Amino acid sequence: MDNSQDQEHDFGVLLKQGAEGRVFVSTFVGRKCVIKERFSKKYRHPLLDAKLTLKRLNAEARCMTKARRLGVPTPVLYAVDPLLHTLTFEYVDGLSVKDILLGFGSNGVNEERLNDIATQIGNAIGKLHDGGLVHGDLTTSNMIIKNSNNQLVLIDFGLSFTSTIPEDKAVDLYVLERALISMHSSCGDVMEKILAAYRKSSKQWCSTQNKLAQVRQRGRKRTMVG
Amino acid sequence: MKSFPVAGGRSVSLALYSDVSNSRELLDLMQSGKLEPEVAFLNASLVPDVFPVLAAAHKALLSKARESLTTRTLHSELVYNYSGSKHITESLKRCGISDDTMYILAARFDASDEEMKAVEKLISGAEIDLGELESRANQPQILKHYKIPAQELLISTLPDAIVCRIAARDAL
Repeated sequence: MDNSQDQEHDFGVLLKQGAEGRVFVSTFVGRKCVIKERFSKKYRHPLLDAKLTLKRLNAEARCMTKARRLGVPTPVLYAVDPLLHTLTFEYVDGLSVKDILLGFGSNGVNEERLNDIATQIGNAIGKLHDGGLVHGDLTTSNMIIKNSNNQLVLIDFGLSFTSTIPEDKAVDLYVLERALISMHSSCGDVMEKILAAYRKSSKQWCSTQNKLAQVRQRGRKRTMVG
Repeated sequence: MKSFPVAGGRSVSLALYSDVSNSRELLDLMQSGKLEPEVAFLNASLVPDVFPVLAAAHKALLSKARESLTTRTLHSELVYNYSGSKHITESLKRCGISDDTMYILAARFDASDEEMKAVEKLISGAEIDLGELESRANQPQILKHYKIPAQELLISTLPDAIVCRIAARDAL
């Protein structure tokens, strides 16, 4: 018999599996929901593992709700379970921006829709950054366009943190830029459209822009020499 | 009165009362632990929808199952959870009832029909439909209590904003 640490829980239907966790579809008091489980890493010391897992779980819950307070749509957080290391949130019905842009790549670009999406992305990131929140993993697969109202919803705040340093914001934008170039170059310069909206929405654009130019030259990682 | 399934076969029954005249009496009974059957009283002005109450109930049942209740009883835990705050006294004061509360939401876990009838007898007031919650909610008071900024309401409903705070409380 396994000990309770290894016990498998039934969270619902498996949707996705990643390196840090699994995502299930289930229901929460009558509403369709998504359950994100951070599993423990057996190669780590148990004490360290428990601390890290819990710390990251709480950080994600904090950042998601902070984003909503800043006026950036993220899924509604329904519950946090510190014992099973799960987050339960609203199921957002819609396509990821990645799938939409890939669709544009194969079926031709819908300029109007592309502009709307890029503007929403720029606005959302501008609000986050001005509020001192860095998403940490801005890729097109972490953005969903809600079917019901075409609203952009940012997901996966697992790597988010609070920071007001221009460097962190610039790296956040740079990661998105790289992702767009590698996945969606057939859609034209989407980043330019996103930055145009970001510029309008962020009051700290100037310092971020300078840093972004530096980050572009040297890449995401800072050289730590001397 | 309406019963809602929460989780693991357990449910919570909710009943809404207006023009309640004996809240002082109810408060005394509750504080001396003589309330029969045991029931949670929420200040219904702070409740714009049942969903946040169900989220708080879900959380209370989970704590109960793990024997990690923060307050003394399952029903007081519901009120405490609903507040989205970690301050127990303040939570019970604001989200629970006080001497002059006239608008009350009563909640009981796994209640039978007889028990809910007994609850109705305890309260001197008029039972009204749960659908009234939204229109009777005191929005300015809710915004202040849960510290909901105007920009959040542009992208969120009031009940969803409350649910986020209930869920994230222990992560803060």
